[in-house]
Parts: sequence; structure tokens; C-alpha cells
Amino acid sequence: MTTDTYVAGTGVLYRFDPRAKLLLMVLLCIWFFLPVSLAGAWLVVLGVIAAGVLSVGLRRMFRTFLTILPMLAFMILFIPFNVRSGEPLLVAGPVVLATREGLLQTLRLMSRFVGVTFVCALTIQSTPMGKIMLALRWYGLPYKASLVVSLAFRFIPFIADSFSQIKDSHRLRDPNIDEGKGRKGYRSKLGDMLPTLTSALVVSLRAVPSLAMSLEHRGFGLPGKRTSYHVLETSWRLFTDLFISTMIPVALWFLFAVR
Amino acid sequence: MDGIVSITDMSFSYRDWLSSRADALCPPVLSHVDLALEDGSMTLILAPPDAGKTTLARILAGLIPKYMDGALSGTVMVDGHDLSKTEPWELVHCCGYVSQNPLDELIAPTCEDEIAFPLESLGMPRYEIIRHVRAALEAWGLVSMREASAQELSGGERKRLLLAVQDAVDPKVWILDESFDDLDVSWRERLMDRISSRSNTSVVFGSRYLDEFHGTFDRYGLLAGGRLSFGDEADIALEFERLCETPYAASASKSVPGFIPVSDAAGCGRSVMPLHVMEREGKEHRLSCTDVSAVHMRRSMVQERPFTLSVPRFSLLGGEVVSLCGPNGSGKSTFSRLLCGLDLPLAGTFSLDDDVASRTVLNRSVGYLFQNPDYQIFLPTVKEELAWSLKRAKIPQREIDRRVGECADLFHLDLDETPSTMSFGLRKSLQAATYYLLDRPFYILDELDSALTYATAFDLVNLLRHNGAGILLITHDRRFADALADRNYTISDGLLSEAEEGA
Repeated sequence: MTTDTYVAGTGVLYRFDPRAKLLLMVLLCIWFFLPVSLAGAWLVVLGVIAAGVLSVGLRRMFRTFLTILPMLAFMILFIPFNVRSGEPLLVAGPVVLATREGLLQTLRLMSRFVGVTFVCALTIQSTPMGKIMLALRWYGLPYKASLVVSLAFRFIPFIADSFSQIKDSHRLRDPNIDEGKGRKGYRSKLGDMLPTLTSALVVSLRAVPSLAMSLEHRGFGLPGKRTSYHVLETSWRLFTDLFISTMIPVALWFLFAVR
Repeated sequence: MDGIVSITDMSFSYRDWLSSRADALCPPVLSHVDLALEDGSMTLILAPPDAGKTTLARILAGLIPKYMDGALSGTVMVDGHDLSKTEPWELVHCCGYVSQNPLDELIAPTCEDEIAFPLESLGMPRYEIIRHVRAALEAWGLVSMREASAQELSGGERKRLLLAVQDAVDPKVWILDESFDDLDVSWRERLMDRISSRSNTSVVFGSRYLDEFHGTFDRYGLLAGGRLSFGDEADIALEFERLCETPYAASASKSVPGFIPVSDAAGCGRSVMPLHVMEREGKEHRLSCTDVSAVHMRRSMVQERPFTLSVPRFSLLGGEVVSLCGPNGSGKSTFSRLLCGLDLPLAGTFSLDDDVASRTVLNRSVGYLFQNPDYQIFLPTVKEELAWSLKRAKIPQREIDRRVGECADLFHLDLDETPSTMSFGLRKSLQAATYYLLDRPFYILDELDSALTYATAFDLVNLLRHNGAGILLITHDRRFADALADRNYTISDGLLSEAEEGA
């Protein structure tokens, strides 16, 4: 129950105050839903990805991309087909398969989805979970609620880690390993994944009472105010970082707003 | 006699989840247990696997029956708290518990946060928390890992982290469930010094390292058949060894041709009969590697130097047992993952029978029993678990049933039992049994002996090499390694090398 998504580093993003980083994250997420030009939206997406590559590395950014790849594939496959009024781009006999409007809508939705995903991922990957909790509490979230958020963020990668360990284990136990690799159908591939998924589920479910047991055994539930090992300093630096966090989306709005 | 811990006529049975009745119970794990511990006393409770050590430890920590359904009768008092009326969080100051499987217990994103968590719960001022965290990190050798995620620590480092948490809180009663396992010899000594040098009351549940425990404790108990009895150290140790003359050996000797049970193995330090192995048909296999190196970073912390492992030469022949020892976090598991083809090395080659071996060849030839058996057990019953690989190999059902039945007899497993509710030791036996059926020419046993008695561990090794398999035995127990291994390898400062004979 221990891993989190934080990737250690020393870049600018790591030095940015977590409270300001959370604010910037929320404002940028909102910004993607404002009426901004499509080119502007994609430029910002590229900017976020570039900042991510510089901070947490290309590999980590690529892994984030891989997690959303299936969703992007669904978007590309189904959204254009759903918007068939407008200037036709792809026609099969009497059926309009894709239109210019459908394509633009797909690109718009994809920019929002990719943008929001990378902004959130980058925030979480460049900020220790303890500091995210403190920032959330600074914004007024009760301790228990911030703990739930923190545990939720840790639980997802825990399952991912367990999945990977279990997959390795089954790789060693499976006598048909790599047999027919590349020739298997989806049903067969899914069938092969079933034991791993089942094990990951068992490990995850076992972790739930262990987590509760451990929390209570470490005094979670005691009456009285909890103290905090980590603190977030309040200084001019915080003011500057909050100002930068506010100004970035505002500047982007002035640059790319549709007028 | 009333002391800091007092248990009177306590019995406990787990809920029977296989029954349709909600109030159905399994046979009692603990039956009419009485225990009284004086403040500052040190007690060692020995128990064979599946005797109820963890259950008793968790009852003392106030975690059972709250988190594991069952019926508890009798009275349990710890430091004046009646545990039937006390919530676990009220016991932070008076009762600390270190579990057998550390990963279950770790909740915080970094080592320092893990240590700080209970101190924050207690409302300790920040400067005090900083002082306690620093002291605990230093005491348990975790300073360089303070920002590391526990997921990235080795098994022994995780155990040290749990001990560091305990040390920082410093409760009146320490309950240590097989806490010496997973630790290398220097940390075992450190733990022993720690519990003997303070005035806390300690209850250590153990099944190994009896020689290291000799003369240290005030009281010696034996938990067996649901009963807890106390006595003289020598009598308790003798009775424990008698109980541990292993169920495996007796049945194995009947069932596996060429198998000679290891007699007198429980103490490990004494003479051990040589392991006899059936010859594998065909030529003798040889697994080797040359000039292998691996590098990895902990992603949760900025490291000045990445972890490196260098293996100039390594070889393992069919039928031999080779041990690999090294301090916690030295790279034993990293090497194991390379050797069975789960990870790729930065440089170097692996060979099987002098041919370069691909990852797939290594996957098929080397069985790797992970340190944590739960990653290798996933089906609802023991029978299904054992049959899985055979089914995948498309073996006829009748033959599967035969092999599974025989294997369950050998490893003393109940085919209808649910693995997730079995004890840690039995889960390890099941893990070994699944690999026994795979009949690989090589096995890596990553701290197989942890939480098992010597006799059980000996027998599991014996069973796994029944058909001439070569074994790489990873262990922190030098004596166990010496008793079994033909050759020894060690890892020191990132270099894996063969140990000189007699070293």
C-alpha cells in the first residue's frame, strides 16, 4: 500500500510551491474548456508535455500517454462517425463517414482530454504526496478527506505495481509463454490476462483490511488535533508562485481566445 | 498474576467462510490460552507454521476480531486496557505490532512519512517528530532512503522500516511476529540488542534462529495445537524441534523415490543428512552468466549514485544447491530477476548448457519463488492453484488430478482450502508446490526459509530438487546456507562473487 506516482527530481517544477501548483493545475484544466483556438489548445498541450519531458523525463510522459491511448483510439474511431452533418471528408457510397466538423470536434475533445491528463499527471508526478495533502489542507479540505485523496492516488499505482509483479510471476509459471505470440485473437489475449487480473484483484482486496488495520494501529482515529511532520512555508515565494500560477492561464487566454 | 499483559482463558475461532451460515466457525486456532507478562519482561514464543502465531499477535495488538471475523472468548488486557472495549488507536502508546509481511502494514508514501505518521496521530510537536524520525532512521540504517517509497525497498529494508516506526513510537509492549526473518545477521543482532537494552516488554514470535536467541529471553513459550505452554528454554526448544520434525519428510520419503528426509534438521546447527537427488534424464544442465551488470534508480528519490550490480561469473549445475547471501538491499532479488529472464541486464550474457539463453528460454528453465508468495497465488482453492499450470500445458484431466493429489499429499496441503486464508508458511508451501509441478531444471528460492522452520524449509528444498534440479538458495541465514549448499556466492558492494571455501 505504499507506492505513489511521485518521480524525484530537481527541476523548476519541483521548486514550485505545491499550493501554487494545485492552483495552476485547476486553472489550466478550466482553460482547456474555454473558447480558445484549436491550434492554441494543442500548443498548450505540447507546452505541458515539453515541461513534463524536461521535469520527469520522456519515458514517464510516454507511459502516461500509453495509459490514455485506448481512450484516444475510441475518440478517433467514434466521434467523427457521430458528427456527420457538415462538409464531407470521407464518403462511402451514400454514407458520410467523416466530416470536417466531426474532425474538428474530435481534435478539440482530444486536446482537452490529453491536456487535462498531462496537467494532472505532471502535478502528481512532480509533487510528493505528503505535500499535496498539505496543500489540499491549506485550501480548507479536512484532514480525513485529504487522506482519502492521498490514499486513492497511492492505491491506483499499488494495483499497477501488483499487476506487474503478478504478470511476471505468471510469465514464469505459464508453460505456453510466448506461444503463438502475435497470432492470438483478442479473446485469447484477454483469457491469458485473466489469471493476472484475478490475482491483482485478490491482492488489492487483501490490502483493504490491512490498510484499515494499519491506519488505526498507527493512531488514526485518536481524538485531538494531529500535528504535521511536513509544513509548507508561507513567504513571499508563495505569493510569487500563486501570482505566476494565475498569470499563466490568463496570458494563455489573451493569446489564444477565440474572438 | 496480573502484569502488563494478561490473557485469561482466551479462545479464538475464525469465521468459516465456506459455510452458508453466518455464525459458522472454523475449529479453534487458540484454545483456553492463559498468559501473564511482567512489565519489562522478554518472552519468546516458538510455534510451528500455522499454529496461530500471527493470530495471537494480532489479538494482543487489538486487531482481531475487529478486522478478521471470528469468535473471541476470555479476557485480554494490555496495560490496563480491556481489549474487548478498546479501539486499536487507543493502544498506540502501549502496544506496537510488527507484522510478518511488512508490505501489508506500510501506508505512507516515503520512509520518513511512515515513521512520522503515528507521531502525528499522537499530536507530538513538530520539532519532537523531526527528532524522533531522524533518530529512528539513523538507528535502522534508513537515512539514505528517507525519501524512498517503501515499494522500492528490499524485504529486509521494509522490515527495518517497520522496526523504525516501532522504535520512534516506543510503545510499552513490543509484539514482534517473525521480525528477525528477512534481516541480515548484523540487523538481527541490532534488533536483539534493541529489545534487550530497553525496559519495554517484548513478545517475540519465532520459529528459527534458536541459537541466536539462546539465553536472551526471560520466558520461553510454545504455541502448538491451540495451546500456549511455558517452560525451561531447553525443554521448550526440544519440544518445538520435536513438533517440527516436519510432516513433509515422513510423507515425502514414502512418495518420492530417492528422497531421504532430513532428520534432526530443526536446529540446523547440527549434522544434517546430505540431500539425495534423483538424476535428471538426459544430460546435466548448466546455467551460467558472464560479465553481467545491472543498474537501477529509485524513482521516488534523487540519488547521487544509482544502484549497480556486477556479476563477472556465475554458474549453477543441475542437482547442486548454491547459496547467495548478502546484506539487505544488496541486489539478491535484482540478480534473481535477471537470472530467470524477467529483467534484462545492461550488459553480459546468460547461457543454458553453454548456449546463449534468451529471456523466454530463461523463463521456461528457471522457476523463481518470489519473496512474497501472494504474488504467485491467485486462485480460490489450493486444487485450482496447483492445477493451473498443468491445465495450461493441456495435460489430460485424469493425469492432472493424479499429480495434484500427489503433490498436495507431499506438501501437506488441503486441496479445498482457500489460499488467501492460509497462514504465511502454508502459502509459501503452496508456492513451492506449484513450482514442484512445473518440474523446472533450476529454481531460485528467494528467502524461502523466511517464516518457516528449518525442517520445513529443508524439506521444501529437498522436494523441489527431487528430480535433479539445480537450486539457487537466497537466504540471510548463513547456517542454513552452509547446511545445504555445495557452493556459496556473496554480494558485497555491488559485486557478486563466489565465496572462498570455508569463508
